[in-house]
Amino acid sequence: MNQLHDSVEPRVMDDDMLKLAVAEQGPREEAGQLAKQEGILFKDVLSLQLDFQNILRIDNLWQFESLRKLQLDNNIIERIEGLENLTHLVWLDLSFNNIETIEGLDTLVNLEDLSLFNNRISKINSLDTLVKLQVLSLGNNQISNMMNIIYLRRFKYLRTLSLSGNPLSEAEDYKMFICAYLPDLVYLDFRRIDDQTKELAEAKHQYSIDELKHREHLMQVQLEEEQAQQEELEKHKAAFVEHLNGTFLFDSMYAEDVEGRKLSYLPGVSELLESYPEKFAVICMSVFEYGLKQQEKRKTELDTFNECVQEAIWENQQQGRHKIAKFEEKYLLSLSTIREESEVPSIEKKIMECSEDITELFNVLMTLEMQLVEQLEEAINLFERNITDLVGLFVENVQACGCTIAQCRDLENHHHEKLLEISINTLEKIVKGELDEELPDDVRALFVDKDTIINAVGASHDIHLLKIDNREDELVTRINSWCTQLVDKIHRDETTRNRERVKEISQYIDHTQSELDNLECGDILD
Amino acid sequence: MEVLKEKVEEEEEAEREEAAERAERADKIEKMRPAEGRKEEIIMTQEMLRDLERKLSEIEIPILTEPPIFTKDTIDVSTLPLSYKTNTPKEEHLLLVADNFSRQYSHLCPDRVPLFLHPLNECEVPKFVSTTLRPTLLPYPELYNWDTCAQFVSDFLTMVPLTDPLRPPQYLYSSTTVLKYQKGNCFDFSTLLCSLLIGSGYDAYCVNGYGSQDLCHMDLTREVCPLTVKPKEPVKKQEKVQTKKYTIKPPRDLSSKFEQEQQRKKEEERRAEEARRLREEEEQLLEAEKAKPDPLYGLRVHSWVLVLSGKREVPETFFIDPLTAHSYSPQDEHFLGIESLWNHKNYWINMQDCWNCCKDLIFDLGDAVRWEFMLLGTDKPNLSLTEEEDNGMNDDDDVENLGKEDEDKSFDMPHSWVEQIEISPEAFESRCPHGKKVIQYKKAKLEKWAPYLNSNGLVTRLTTYKDMECSQILEIKEWYQNREDMLELKHINKTTGLHVDYFKPGHTQALRVHSYKSMQPEMDRVMEFYETARVDGLTKREETPKSMTEYYQRRQDFLSYRHIDYGPRVKKISQNSADSNPRPMVKITERFSRNPEKPADEDVAEHVFVIGEDRIQLRYHCREDHITASKREFLQRTEVDSKGNKIIMTPDMCISFEVEPMEHTKKLLYQYQTLMQLKSEEKVSRHQAWESELEVLEILKLREEEEAAHTLTISIYDTRRNEKSKEYREAMERVLHEEHLRQVETQLDYLAPFLVQLPPGEKLTRWQAMRLKDECLSDFKQRLIDKANLIQARFEKETQELQKKQQWYQENQVTLSPEDEDLYLSYCSQAMFRIRILEQRLNRHKELAPLKYLALEEKLYKDPRLVELLKVFT
Repeated sequence: MNQLHDSVEPRVMDDDMLKLAVAEQGPREEAGQLAKQEGILFKDVLSLQLDFQNILRIDNLWQFESLRKLQLDNNIIERIEGLENLTHLVWLDLSFNNIETIEGLDTLVNLEDLSLFNNRISKINSLDTLVKLQVLSLGNNQISNMMNIIYLRRFKYLRTLSLSGNPLSEAEDYKMFICAYLPDLVYLDFRRIDDQTKELAEAKHQYSIDELKHREHLMQVQLEEEQAQQEELEKHKAAFVEHLNGTFLFDSMYAEDVEGRKLSYLPGVSELLESYPEKFAVICMSVFEYGLKQQEKRKTELDTFNECVQEAIWENQQQGRHKIAKFEEKYLLSLSTIREESEVPSIEKKIMECSEDITELFNVLMTLEMQLVEQLEEAINLFERNITDLVGLFVENVQACGCTIAQCRDLENHHHEKLLEISINTLEKIVKGELDEELPDDVRALFVDKDTIINAVGASHDIHLLKIDNREDELVTRINSWCTQLVDKIHRDETTRNRERVKEISQYIDHTQSELDNLECGDILD
Repeated sequence: MEVLKEKVEEEEEAEREEAAERAERADKIEKMRPAEGRKEEIIMTQEMLRDLERKLSEIEIPILTEPPIFTKDTIDVSTLPLSYKTNTPKEEHLLLVADNFSRQYSHLCPDRVPLFLHPLNECEVPKFVSTTLRPTLLPYPELYNWDTCAQFVSDFLTMVPLTDPLRPPQYLYSSTTVLKYQKGNCFDFSTLLCSLLIGSGYDAYCVNGYGSQDLCHMDLTREVCPLTVKPKEPVKKQEKVQTKKYTIKPPRDLSSKFEQEQQRKKEEERRAEEARRLREEEEQLLEAEKAKPDPLYGLRVHSWVLVLSGKREVPETFFIDPLTAHSYSPQDEHFLGIESLWNHKNYWINMQDCWNCCKDLIFDLGDAVRWEFMLLGTDKPNLSLTEEEDNGMNDDDDVENLGKEDEDKSFDMPHSWVEQIEISPEAFESRCPHGKKVIQYKKAKLEKWAPYLNSNGLVTRLTTYKDMECSQILEIKEWYQNREDMLELKHINKTTGLHVDYFKPGHTQALRVHSYKSMQPEMDRVMEFYETARVDGLTKREETPKSMTEYYQRRQDFLSYRHIDYGPRVKKISQNSADSNPRPMVKITERFSRNPEKPADEDVAEHVFVIGEDRIQLRYHCREDHITASKREFLQRTEVDSKGNKIIMTPDMCISFEVEPMEHTKKLLYQYQTLMQLKSEEKVSRHQAWESELEVLEILKLREEEEAAHTLTISIYDTRRNEKSKEYREAMERVLHEEHLRQVETQLDYLAPFLVQLPPGEKLTRWQAMRLKDECLSDFKQRLIDKANLIQARFEKETQELQKKQQWYQENQVTLSPEDEDLYLSYCSQAMFRIRILEQRLNRHKELAPLKYLALEEKLYKDPRLVELLKVFT
């Protein structure tokens, strides 16, 4: 084969080749005849075998959407490519090719069995997404680094591994190392690992494995923590009060405030600034808690609503099913009597009765549906009103002077006045030359005249107010948009449901009617 | 003569009420009478004779019908212990106290009946009633609780009515005697029950009082059998549907309110009418059932047990009737009054008025106004707080009773004279006398047997009748125990002819319930199974002559239901193969529960194979949000097209309705594959149906075998019944016994024959001891030599005989027939064998004899009787 390798012309995976393969591997005998009559669509094919075809490049496979098993062994493929669409693939055989790196397998998340035997691979990587991997064959490759084994620890279901014929398998410790680091492995190089070897290996590499495990555990814990934090933040975001449970807003107020920072060097300001964040944070906290409470309320409201709607729909479905079942019983009976009946007038009479039944069923089902629509409409409207009220109340309370953000603004105003007072006092002192303390030059520069200092203080104040306003605006807009989206979605869902149901009913009625008509035709023909 | 005759007649009067044991004697007397009569009145008319005969026949009847009365004649008093026959000084003292108390009481309350204080026991000795109670806790857990304990007492003893229903009995036997003979009157019953209850910690008392006729005669014919009463199903509380905020409003009701109202009114009227009619009927029935008024109402003496609240977590005071083991509240109208009550420590007289039965009685025994006690020294139960207030009032009584109390002050109730109550496990297990008991209830008869008494394991049978006279059987329920086939209950409904057998878990075919009308196959029957014990998860199989329905649970293939319709049997020409001629299947319906792994459109809910028409109907599961389900119908036609090719599949062979039409399902290939799969499934289903039929036959056969054999299981712990273990145990005992015998043998006194020669009782002298030893040794030596000689003699005799035979053979060798020759040869080999054995034995004896001799000598030196004397010598 290898001697012939150079002389053989590489082939292209074209439509004809695929068609031929599909036809050859398709159903046999009677079923085959049928298949031939109708033709087989590529997307229905479950298994495809393309070995010994001298394929150089994988191509034209995008149509095989539901393919489960693909064999491309004994070709001259150099790169793994063009397999992105085959997401249902469970078994992939790429052995005896000329592949150098593992790539292009990221979308094949269902893959359980992967064979890359006899290729030119030197490193195991880019297999992270194949979480279901059970069998991995990498024999006769160029893998030399033992650290590749540790990479395989992430595959929880990996049971069979073959690595023989690689440089690393020459190592003296090869088997022990693998057994120790992959304790769930059952078969190595097509041989079962006995328990004794496992124990030995474990004992031998215990320290390093423990260390590894510890590191993995730490990573895991960190990951979990991050996730928990993320979830918490998501929760707060859903309540529209994220970052209000601390000094985040306050910090952001001073973040861009140059003047404010300069002014803090003034005597007396530092004391002022000490108590200010605390007060501010307390207010923010109250807003935060209020927000969470409101969120809880909205959630229960939504849950009750969903539950009730589900119940109503379910009950309606039960009724519908019951009606249909009763109808079908009767219908089947009358169908069989019609079949047995020989006299034309009575047949016609029976058929008339049947079609009347069908019409009645249609009416009943549609009435049921109409009822449900009306009932749901009412419930939805009620819910819409309630949820809008809730949101309105929340927004109002957040904005209103009694509570929360308005308080922030008051606090800021108060602070501003104090600061202004101090600044003017300082200015007077400077003018009088009574100031004992040293001030940095840029701060001193502000105290040129009254306007400058007032401007500076005003600018700082403006920035602060702007921040607060921004936060408030953000909250209000987001909650409002959430509300409208929710209501829209409910309405939309209801409409879709209604349409689906009506479609279903009419489809069923049409089918039954046509069946009856067919019978009629058949009888007349007979 | 006259005097004698009178005496005889008096006796006869007494006898009539007495036991059947005396029937013989009574007969004799009656036989004597006509003879006497003939003597005195020589002329006797036919009328007189006839009259006499009639009278005699009248006399006979009560003797036959009355149950055997338990008299002291039947009791063997000779084996009873001394405490039964005599009174200890303390008991004598107690009797004196009791007499004194009785005198004072009759003086103070002259209008009341004398007290029941010290009846005679079986040895004619007066014993105080409290000492007859012997608190005992028996090692049977069943006797620890009052209900099962009372049930046991009532089962274990046979009731004998009081000789005089208006007076307490003269005799009160010990509980041991009562248990031995397993019969007694109500006083015996309550004494035994009270002893057991006090023993297990209840605050129980024996009561002497008055009861209704039914109670005294243990007449349950007006009671409903407790086994027939169905437990009332707890009325399910209708969960009120909580209207949630967004619960949709129901559609508007457009029907007329007025019409509904009218309808309802009519309905109500009709119902009221019905109810009235029913009530009237019921009343009539009740009237008929009611007992005739009792002329002796309120005078009939009865004894029962009172259990006071407090101990053993008894929440309320109640009565137990020991005859029936029923418990009653003190308000029950069967109990008409209490005269006195006692436990093992004291005796109380009821001083309260019983005009309203026992309903107003207050059971506060510490209240001396209501309950007059006999002994002061014992603790008063229930000393309530009101007592202290009453103290001032009681002072007068105290002064009155001063003398008596002084006397009693330090007096305790003596210990019971009754022996320890014991019930053997065998007696406990057999429960009723002879292991059988019959109770007649209202419209029902209950029969009980001890386990293992009936060979088919029957323990209880309840027969329910339609009418009061118990002539028409309504249904029979039979309970079984220890059956190998785990049969637990057999229920036969006589009106419908339906038999229902219930099984406990463990039947070989996992059968749970089997209801049938006849054991013939292919008839109406329902079999239920313990589905967890079966591999195929079958829970129920219903059969009618034309169909079979099976219900499954928890199967891997989600099959939940299979229904097979059979057609009429096709008549075969040959009659011989009628057995293997199964009914043809017409239709098989199989239903499956939802397989959550498949989408609803591909998960078959039901498939129907109409076998005659080659039609297969498929119905799929309904999608969650849909009301219609997909379905398919295949019609198999094998046709040939114009070119002569077989048509494999045509679009009109499959009619399908799909909720959501999909492309690939429209294809013929898909339909063809589905059809092929269905065909194979049909084959499997048919096979399974056939197997089910076979299984039914097998079960029926097995059931018949089991019914015929009805073997009982015996626990391995049951040492009495388990034959195997019994044999083993006996073998062990035998081995032990033999071992013991051998030991005795080895301990044979070798000095005894020599010691006998010496004068007995005298101490041995040294010389005597020496002689004794020598004699013993020489005797033993002689024996050894004798034995050797004996073996030698036998050996020689055997050799001689052999030689003779050999000689004879040599002489007659020529004339011998082959048979004789064979005979001779076998004789030779046997003789040689014997000779060799004798030789070996002789050699062995020679070897061992000196050793034995030395051993005996050594033994003699160590013999305790000789050691002192011989030691000095050596």
